[in-house]
Amino acid sequence: MAFAGPVLLKRIPDDPAKRKLINIEEYIATGGYESLRKAQSMTPDQIIQLVIDSNLRGRGGAGFPCGSKWKFLPKDIHPRYLAVNFDESEPGTFKDRYLTDYDPHVLLEGIAIAAYTNRIAVSYIYIRGEYHRQARILEKALEEAYARGIFGQKIPGTDIAHNCYVHRGAGAYICGEETGLLESLEGKRGWPRIKPPFPAIAGAFAKPTIINNVETLACLPYIIEHGADWFKAMGTASSAGPKLFGVSGLVNKPGVYEEELGIKMSTLIEKYAGGIKGGKYRAAIPGGVSMGVLGTDQYDAELDFDIGRKYNVLGLGTAGVIVMTDKTDLVVMLRNIVRFFAHESCGQCTPCREGTAWMHKMLNRIVAGYGKPHDFDLLMEVGLSMGSMPGTTICGLADGANWAVRTFLQKFPEDFKARLKSDQVQGVTLDAQAAAAV
Amino acid sequence: MAWIVEDRLKQYQPTRSEPYLTAEIKSHIEQKYFPRYPRKQAALLPLFHTIMHTYGYIAPQAIDEAAEFLGISRAQVQDAVTFYEEFRLQPSGRYVVNVCRSISCELCGHQAVLNKIRDVFGIEPGETTEDNKFTVFEVECLGACEQAPCALVNEDLHGCIKPDAFASHLQALPDHPAAGH
Repeated sequence: MAFAGPVLLKRIPDDPAKRKLINIEEYIATGGYESLRKAQSMTPDQIIQLVIDSNLRGRGGAGFPCGSKWKFLPKDIHPRYLAVNFDESEPGTFKDRYLTDYDPHVLLEGIAIAAYTNRIAVSYIYIRGEYHRQARILEKALEEAYARGIFGQKIPGTDIAHNCYVHRGAGAYICGEETGLLESLEGKRGWPRIKPPFPAIAGAFAKPTIINNVETLACLPYIIEHGADWFKAMGTASSAGPKLFGVSGLVNKPGVYEEELGIKMSTLIEKYAGGIKGGKYRAAIPGGVSMGVLGTDQYDAELDFDIGRKYNVLGLGTAGVIVMTDKTDLVVMLRNIVRFFAHESCGQCTPCREGTAWMHKMLNRIVAGYGKPHDFDLLMEVGLSMGSMPGTTICGLADGANWAVRTFLQKFPEDFKARLKSDQVQGVTLDAQAAAAV
Repeated sequence: MAWIVEDRLKQYQPTRSEPYLTAEIKSHIEQKYFPRYPRKQAALLPLFHTIMHTYGYIAPQAIDEAAEFLGISRAQVQDAVTFYEEFRLQPSGRYVVNVCRSISCELCGHQAVLNKIRDVFGIEPGETTEDNKFTVFEVECLGACEQAPCALVNEDLHGCIKPDAFASHLQALPDHPAAGH
């Protein structure tokens, strides 16, 4: 394990006052687009092998190996598309926005490398609708890159001209699910598709399509530049490389920090995020609200792709850490998370559409003081029954709600049970002694 | 957003004779967006972003015109448009204030922001001021959790909001937003 300093954030100063948007001249002056040139001197197979060797896993949440994903593309079916997943909508996640705010060209270079490797005809950057500023930044950066011939030209050695466009979403979390994203790209409602066929076989416009996260693509130029061994030297055996961690919630210095995978959450909070604000650590979400919650005794959890197995959460997710203290009302926090899923459920699958809304109602009731003792088990039962892993829904949105509910209930049962002791109905106490006293 | 329930028995009539999809909008979409996609339907999101930007909401008539323009059925357009939160079917104030309510913002006090707006402007989420200047919404995560509590005022993000200063900022905004917002 060796983390010598920022990789993805190397062009972005720590001091907020010194940060500014890096244009193409400055990007090239600091070695930008060199990796693209180097990549173009290699064969696509060599690059895929390099990416596989580097053990680069997807940074968008699922952690799927990037090189293997590329290998799924069927040979000789064209055109092929690349959809860049910039629909960063998971509460607690803002790393891609931060990167693009200052260094958009590293993403564009990554796209150009992926396009060269996979013979992509069109790359669509699917950016969430709320990112107005970032969409403008990308449009401008694309203009600069087009003027330099990075896009719009034939991919060397082929007849395929590669174009890259920004496609704005319009406010729907589910469009970050890869097939929901493709539906939205095609101008439909963002309903996830039943798989198979997988996007690599029939994705956007029924053609082979790769979907990669912004940060995954931004890693490519550095892997090409420094090689697989350099990349693997950072992180752990299963989780290689640097990672952007977004820290928010009750810390003194919330923000995006880069470290190698496998860093302890306590280190991230204390060394980078300025420590806990206004209280003691009690709980934290490791990577976006769909991943569940880490308990009070899991403060030192290593943030890598094995976190799910080791600490009973769904996974690392987007590595957006949300910190809560001993003064935080965890029941209200879970209600917030479940409301998010109830609001963002696309409505296709009944367990998710009805289940999230039902759990939201139950939590509203509990927060309002009308919780019944059996609500605890009922919440758990409804939560556990929904998701693609119990096999009741098409996509993983419901798994997020499932894991949020199950981990909050498992790790902080006393918080919930304390509110469920009440033997009241609509605010009227049913206690016999109390009734007699009146 | 999952769905919008409409009164299906209500007769719908086009409301104005001049089209919402002006020649200017059409040629903008035809030239800029149609070449980007193998199918015209894929230009639906850019088209409705343009309509939102121009009119501030989506009139039923605009859906009809878009269907014809994109060569798909009205049902397909309505199906897609009603799915997205940013596409609003009702007119709103000149400034739309979207206050984030997701977990980091709730932890950092988004309710104080909403309370302040309620006290100063007299509007709850979903409501518009009488002078039609502001509409406030509570929305899910805006992707700026490190700046919690945050809000989007038209296209501009405001982070690390102090309720008092934010309300004064809103009050000081010109009556009409500058072009391009």
